[in-house]
Amino acid sequence: MIRHDVIVLGAGLAGMRAAIEAKRAGVDVAVISKLHPTRSHSGAAEGGINAALGNATEDSPESHTYDTIKGSDYLGDQDAIEVMCREAPDDIYELEHMGAIFTRASDGKLAQRPFGAAGAPRTVYSADITGHVLIHVLYEQLVKYEIKVYEEFFATRVVVDEGRCAGVIAWDTQKGGLHAIEANHVILATGGVGRMYYGTTNAFACTGDGMSLAWNAGVPLKDMEFMQVHPTTLKSNGVLITEGCRGEGGYLRNKDGERFMVHDAPNAMELASRDVVSRAEWREIADGRGVDGCVMLDLTHLGWKKLKSRLPGSRELAMDYAGVDPIEQPIPVRPGAHYQMGGVDCDIWGETMVPGLWAAGEVACVSVHGANRLGGNSLMETIVFGRRAGQAAAERVFEQGDTGARIEPAALADEDRRIAAILNNSEGERPGVLREELAKTMYDKAGVYRTGEALLECQDKVHDLRERAKTLSLDDHSSVFNTDLTTALELLSLLECADCLVTSAVARKESRGAHSRLDFTTRDDDHWLKHTLNWNDGGEVRLDYRPVTITTHQPLARSY
Amino acid sequence: MAAIENAHFTTLKGAYDQETMEATLKVRRYDPETGKSRFDTFTVTIPVTATVLDALDAIKDTCDGTLSYRKSCRMSVCGSCGMRVDGGAALACKTSMRKFVEAGHTITVSPMGNLPVIKDLVVDMTPFWDKIRAIKPYLDTKDADTPAKEWRINPEDTALIHKESLCILCGCCVSECNSMESDPEFLGPAALAKAYRFVGDARDKDTRERLRDLSGAHGIWDCTRCYFCNQRCPKGVDPRDAIAKLGAESFKEGFTSDAGAKHAKVFVDSTYKGGFLRETELVPKTIGPANAIKDIPFALQLARAGKVPNPLSPHKAKDNDEVKRLWKLLEKEAKGQPRRATATHPDAVQEG
Repeated sequence: MIRHDVIVLGAGLAGMRAAIEAKRAGVDVAVISKLHPTRSHSGAAEGGINAALGNATEDSPESHTYDTIKGSDYLGDQDAIEVMCREAPDDIYELEHMGAIFTRASDGKLAQRPFGAAGAPRTVYSADITGHVLIHVLYEQLVKYEIKVYEEFFATRVVVDEGRCAGVIAWDTQKGGLHAIEANHVILATGGVGRMYYGTTNAFACTGDGMSLAWNAGVPLKDMEFMQVHPTTLKSNGVLITEGCRGEGGYLRNKDGERFMVHDAPNAMELASRDVVSRAEWREIADGRGVDGCVMLDLTHLGWKKLKSRLPGSRELAMDYAGVDPIEQPIPVRPGAHYQMGGVDCDIWGETMVPGLWAAGEVACVSVHGANRLGGNSLMETIVFGRRAGQAAAERVFEQGDTGARIEPAALADEDRRIAAILNNSEGERPGVLREELAKTMYDKAGVYRTGEALLECQDKVHDLRERAKTLSLDDHSSVFNTDLTTALELLSLLECADCLVTSAVARKESRGAHSRLDFTTRDDDHWLKHTLNWNDGGEVRLDYRPVTITTHQPLARSY
Repeated sequence: MAAIENAHFTTLKGAYDQETMEATLKVRRYDPETGKSRFDTFTVTIPVTATVLDALDAIKDTCDGTLSYRKSCRMSVCGSCGMRVDGGAALACKTSMRKFVEAGHTITVSPMGNLPVIKDLVVDMTPFWDKIRAIKPYLDTKDADTPAKEWRINPEDTALIHKESLCILCGCCVSECNSMESDPEFLGPAALAKAYRFVGDARDKDTRERLRDLSGAHGIWDCTRCYFCNQRCPKGVDPRDAIAKLGAESFKEGFTSDAGAKHAKVFVDSTYKGGFLRETELVPKTIGPANAIKDIPFALQLARAGKVPNPLSPHKAKDNDEVKRLWKLLEKEAKGQPRRATATHPDAVQEG
C-alpha cells in the first residue's frame, strides 16, 4: 500500500502550486496526474493573470475586488474575492522570483495590459503565452523540490472511510492496473469540464474528472449552470484567441463591418465582460449579420509590429487553424464554452464538506467568479487558492497526523470489478458516439442563450445518454496505454457534470452572468441571489441552495 | 441591453457545417503484448480543416479503438502529440491534412525516434525527462537578497531568452537528433535549450557552474551541428542556436578543455592566422599530440584515398589581412553586445 500525507490530484497550475506549498511546509506530498504536468491545460491560457500591482496606472486590491464582484453579477462570495484580490500581488512577485518570464515595461517592471471589465490595466502577462510560461515555471519548482509525481495515473475513485477522505484509487495508464494510494488529505486540482460542449476552447483532457470524483464522494457541486462562453474562439476546432487581442485594441465587426458592441456596451465596447460580448455576437450571427457562422475579430489596424511582439501566439493559431494571417485579414470567431465558474463546493481554504478532501482551481467553486469570470482571474485563482489549499492541508497534517482513514481491500476490489466491467465490455455504443451527441446537445440547448423548453430537452437527452453509457463498447481490452478505457471513464465524468449543469439551469428562472434565459430575461435578486448546490442522490441530481456572502458591495444593476 | 428579443435562437444554424474530404493514412502499430510491429492503413472522412491528430481521432472513433497516441490541447502548446509524419517529427495537431489529401499522398505516421516505444505512437519519455532534470532546470539566485517586489529587467534583456522560453518539451528535436542516435547519453537539444533559458536569465546566479557542467562529457560539444533540431522544432525554439550560445558563453568563462571546445578553437585560430582551416593541426590540437599519433594509420588511409591536403604547403588566403580585419570587426561587435542580461533589485532603482 502506498501512503502519503497529502496527495494532489492534477498537475496544472493549482495542483502544482498546492504541492509546492505543502512540500515547503515539510509534509510528504505526491502528485497524481493523468497527464505529464507540463501537458496540463493551464499551459494553454494566453492573455494573463490579474493583480493590482499598479505598475501601469494607479490601482488597488479594492478596485480589483469591486470589478470582480460586479463581473460575477453579484453571485461571487465577497469574502473569497477579497482574499484573492488582496493576496494576488505577492503571489505574482513570488512567481517572478521563481523565474516566470513576464513581459516587461520600459522601466523594467512587470507590464500590465487592460482586460475586459477591469477598471485599470491589471493583467500581468507574457506576450500571449502566459499560461505556458507559468506551467513551466511551476514544473521547474516541482523538480527543484523533488516532488513525487505519479505520471499518467488516472484517478477513478476518491475513497471515503467513515466520513473521512482516505485517498484515491487510480489506474496506471502506462502499465495498466489499479492502485490504492492512501493519504490523510487529497487536494483536487483537476481543472474544468469544457469538453461537454461541442465548441470549446478546452483541451481533450478537460472532462470534469475531479468534479465527478467529488460528487461521488458526497461533496456537492456548486453553481454548475454557469459555464462561461468565451467570445473569440475558432470555428474549426474551438481554439481560443485571447482577450488580449481586444486588450491590445482589436475590434469585433459584423458582416457589414460595423463594430456591433456599440449597441451593448457603448463605453467598454469590445472590452465589456465576456458574457455580454458573447451574447452580442450570438445575436449578430443569429440575426444574419455574421459571416459563415462567425463574427470578425479585426486586428489589421494594430500593425504587424504589435502583432508580432504582443500577440505572436494568436497569429500562429489563426494561421494554423483558420488559415488567416491577422496582419492582413480579420479572424472569424464565434462563442465557445471556455470556463466552468461552478465546481466542487469548498471554503476559502479549499476544504470541502468531507474532511480531508480539498479543491483548488477550476475544479473548485470557492466562489470568486460567481455567474461570470473576468479574464485574467482564473490564473490568479489557481495560484492564490492552490497555495492556500497546500498550506492549509499541510497545517492539518501537523495538527492531526495520521487521520486513521484507510482504503479497505474491499473498496479496491469493488473498484477493480467496476473498471474490469468497463474494460472487458464489447456490447453497446462507442464512447466517441455518445460524447459527440452530448457535446452537440449542450452547445445547442444549454449555450449562450437558454430557454426552459430547450433546457428540458437537453436534460432528457443527458438522462438518455447516462442510461446508454451504462454499457459502453470498447475495442481495446488490453492493459498497456489503453486510451479507449480512459476515454470511456472521461465520458462518464462528462455526463455527470452535464446532468448537474442542466438540472441547475432548468431550475434557475432568471438571467445572471453566463446563464442567460430568453424566458426570464432579467436578474432576480429577490429569489435567485443564491448558490445552487447539486447533491448526488443515488446517482441523480438533487438541488439545494445557499445564500451568497455579501460583505461590502450590495447588488446593483450591471452595465458596461 | 439591446435587442435580446431579436435573438430568437438558442441554436445557431449551420454551427456544425464543415466541408469534408477523404484521407488515407498509414500508421505504424506496436503491440506491447506480442512485441510485434506492423503498418495499418485507414481511410477516414474528415473536415478539410482537419489536422493529423483529427485524422487519428477519426480512426480511433470510427475504425479502430485500439489505436493509441497521446493528445491533449490540440493547439500546439501542451506538447503531447509529437510523432513522425513521413519520417520527420512533428506535432500531429499542428500538421494540416489538406495539403496531403490534395496531393493524393498517403502519409505515414510513426512514433518519435530516439525514445523507446510503449504502444503504437506512444513513446516512453522517461529518458527525455531525466535529461531535463539533469540540467538543473530551475532558477538559482543563490544568496541574492530576494526583493519585496519584482526584479527590474529591461525588455531587451528578457528578449535574450525569448526563443528558448517558447519550448513546450514535446521531444520533436530529440526524436531527430543525430548525435543522440550515436550517444544516447548526450543531453540533447531540448535539455540544452532549457539550460540556455537559465544561463541567459538575468536573475540566475549559477551561470558559471552551469556552463562548467554543460561543457563536460555528453554536453554542449557533443552536438554535431546537423541542425535537424532547428528544422523540426514546431515552436521556433532553434535549439542548435541555443547550443551555440552556450558554447560562446562557456568560452567566456574559460571552459575550453573539452575536445569539442578545443576543436572549435582550432577552427577559429587557424582561420585567423591563415584565412583557411589547417586540417593537419586540427586533430593534434583537438585530442592532443599523443592521441593524434594513434590516429596516424587512419590518417595514412585517408591520404591514400586523397582525403588529406598536403601538410607541407597549407592553404593560405591571398589577402590574409582582410580576414584579420573582418575578425576584428566581429570582435568589436561582440563587445558592443551586453555580455549578459542584468536584473536590478528594486531598492537599488532611483525612481524618477
